[in-house]
Amino acid sequence: MAIIDPITTGLESGWQHIDASTLQQNRHFEADVIIVGTGAGGGTAAEILTDAGLTVIMIEGGALKSSKDFDMEERHAYPNLYQQAAAMKTADKGIGIFQGRAVGGSTTINWTTSIRTPKPTLDFWAAERSVINTSAEEMLPWFEKMEQRLNIKEWQYEPNRNNGVLREGCEKLGWEHTVIKRNVSGCWNTGYCGMGCPVNAKQSMLVTTIPAALNKGATLISRAKVTRLEHKGDKVSGLTAYALTEGLQPTGVELTFSGKHYILSAGAIHTPTILMRSNVPDPHKLLGKTFLHPSLLSGAMFDDQINGHSGAPQSIYSDQFVWHDGATGDLGYKLEVAPIHPVLIASKTIGFGQSHAQLMANFNKLQVVIALIRDGFNEQCAGGQVRLTDHGFALDYPLTEGFWAGARKAFLSMAELQFAAGAKRVLPMNDGLSFLTSWKQAQEVIGSMDLRLLKTIVASAHVMGGCPMGEDTIKAMVDSFGQSHYFDNLSVFDGSMFQTSLGANPQLSIYGLVARNATLLAQRLTPTAI
Amino acid sequence: MKRRTFLTSAFAGTAALALGVSWYSSDPIQVGEDVNYRVLFSVLIPALLDGALPEVASQRKIAIDTTLDSIQASISVLPEEQQVELKELLALLESRLGLLLLTGSMTPLMLRSPIELVDMLEEWRFHYLDMIQTAYLGLRELILASYYSSPAHWGKLGYAKPTFLLNT
Repeated sequence: MAIIDPITTGLESGWQHIDASTLQQNRHFEADVIIVGTGAGGGTAAEILTDAGLTVIMIEGGALKSSKDFDMEERHAYPNLYQQAAAMKTADKGIGIFQGRAVGGSTTINWTTSIRTPKPTLDFWAAERSVINTSAEEMLPWFEKMEQRLNIKEWQYEPNRNNGVLREGCEKLGWEHTVIKRNVSGCWNTGYCGMGCPVNAKQSMLVTTIPAALNKGATLISRAKVTRLEHKGDKVSGLTAYALTEGLQPTGVELTFSGKHYILSAGAIHTPTILMRSNVPDPHKLLGKTFLHPSLLSGAMFDDQINGHSGAPQSIYSDQFVWHDGATGDLGYKLEVAPIHPVLIASKTIGFGQSHAQLMANFNKLQVVIALIRDGFNEQCAGGQVRLTDHGFALDYPLTEGFWAGARKAFLSMAELQFAAGAKRVLPMNDGLSFLTSWKQAQEVIGSMDLRLLKTIVASAHVMGGCPMGEDTIKAMVDSFGQSHYFDNLSVFDGSMFQTSLGANPQLSIYGLVARNATLLAQRLTPTAI
Repeated sequence: MKRRTFLTSAFAGTAALALGVSWYSSDPIQVGEDVNYRVLFSVLIPALLDGALPEVASQRKIAIDTTLDSIQASISVLPEEQQVELKELLALLESRLGLLLLTGSMTPLMLRSPIELVDMLEEWRFHYLDMIQTAYLGLRELILASYYSSPAHWGKLGYAKPTFLLNT
C-alpha cells in the first residue's frame, strides 16, 4: 500500500521551507517570532503562535525527513534522525543517550508514550522550586487540549507480547500497572516508531503542528544550527546560525535572524548550550543542570515467541516503584519495556563472541524490561551538568552510590517481574553476568553483584532540565511560564524548563506546558489582546 | 589547545611522557595506506562476532566485507570528537608500542591466534582502567552494531522488516 506523505504534499503546495544546506550565501531573516527547534516545544509553539496571526520562523538543526524516507532500518534512521547518530554519550561514556535530531525533534522518533506530568513532580516544583500556577489542576485543561490535538488515547489493542510480559508480571505480583496513552491515529501496530513512523500514524510534530503552522504561512529552515543569540541590556537582538551540509557539517554559510520575540526549544542539551555560548547572565549557575532518567535494562528468555520488534513499542507501564518513598525519598524507578530491534539490542546487551551470538540467535524469544530512575529530586542522584567544549558540548553525569543502590533495586524488581511472568532465564545488563535461571538465584546474584561505570549498561531517552523555570531567580532562569528572567523578549519552551526529571516520559509534559505558555505569549504579542 | 581525545587520559599521557616517544613514528610495520583500518577490523570482527558469522568460508568473507563497509559508514556519521578518539585508538592498535601498552605484547594483532584475540578482548572488558574498558566498549559497539545493521545479517535472528509498504 502506498502512503501519502504529507510533507511532500505540503511542499508541493508551496510551504515556505528552506534547506539551509542548499544556500550559497549568507542570509538574514525576520519574523515576529523566531523559534529554535521543532520538537515537542517548538512544534507546539509554532502552531499556537501562527494561529494567533504572528509571523513565525522555525529553525531546525536536523533535516526535514518524512515517511518516504522512513524505511524501518536502524542503519538509516539513527544517522538521519538522532543526535550523533544515536551514539551520543555522557563525557565518561557511562550513559548512552537517544535524542532526536530532525524536523519534529524527538517526537519524530519517540515511542509515542504520552503521560501527564505526575502530580508529585508538580507538587515538588511548587513546594521546593518556586514554580507557580502549574499544579495538576491548573495544567489539566492544557493536557486535555493537547491530548485532543494529538489524538492521545489509551491504546485499545492487545499489548504485544513484550509489553504483555510486563502486564502479566505485575498482575502476578499485585503491582500497579497502567495501559499507556499513545499519540497515534490509525496506527498499523508495526513497531517502528523509533525509526520514524512509516505510515504517518504517529501524531508527532512532523505531521501535526508543523504542517499546520506551515499551512498558515510560517517558515521552516532545516539543517541550520543556531550557535548563539546576541543580546544587549534586557533584550535579545538577534540569533546567529550556520548552515549544515547533508552530512551535518558546517557549509560556511551564516544565517542571521531578528524578531520581536525569540523562543528556545532546542531541547534540554542544546537550549542551555546556546545560552552558555551567548554568555547570558547566569549568576546562580543554573544553566545546564541536566536530568536523564538513567535507565537499566533486564533481558529475559521465554519459551514462546516474544517478537519484541512487532507491535506498539510501549503499551504498559508500572509505577509500582516510582513514588514509593515520596518525591524526595529513596530513588524511584518506572518500569517499561524497550522495543527489540537488532542494532539497539546488539549494542545494549553485554559480552561478545559466542555468548552474544547465542543471545542474538534467540532474538525473538528475548523480552526486555527497562527501569527509568527518577533523578534530580535529591542528592542520591542529583543529575548532570552540560559544559561547553572546543567542538560543542560535553555532559558530565556522575553515577553516584545512591544511583547504584537504586539500580540494584531496579534490577531485582525487573528480574522478579520477568520470572513471575514465566521467563526461563533472566540477564541483568551488567557485564560479567550470565543468564540467571531462577528468582532465588537472581536475588543472590543481583544482591551482591558489582555495579559500576562502564560495566553496567545505562541508557537514556529523556533529556530534561538545563534552564529551569520558577519565580525565584536563585532557582530559575525562566519564570513559571517560560519567560526569561533576564530578557524581555526571550522564552524557553522545551524540556529544559523542568526543575527535575519527571518520573514519566516527557512529551506530554512539554506539550501541555508549552501550549499554556505559548497561548499566554500569543496574547501578549498580539495587539488584539490589549 | 589540547584536544580531548582518547590519548589525553592520564594513563596514556603519562606513559608517553615516561617513554619519551611519539606514538606514530616508532612503528616500522605501520599499515600506512590502510586509512580505513580494514585490515585491523578484519582481525577484530571474527573475534567479536564468533558464532554469529557464517561458517562457510565464502559466505563468511562476504559477511566480513559487508561489516567492514558498515563500520566505515558508521564511523563517517560519528561526531568529529568521537571519530578522533576512535582513530587514535585504531592507530595505537596498529603501533607496536601502543599494542605493548594496551595488550602487554608487541605482536601485531593480525599475527595473533583467535584465542589470543579473545583473551585480549576479555582482559580489556574487565580492565581496571576505564580507558581500556572504554576501548573495548567502543570497538564492541561499533563492530556489533555495524554487523547487525545489515539486513543481510538478520537471517539467524528471524527478524525482517514488514514488506507491506511500497515506498520501502
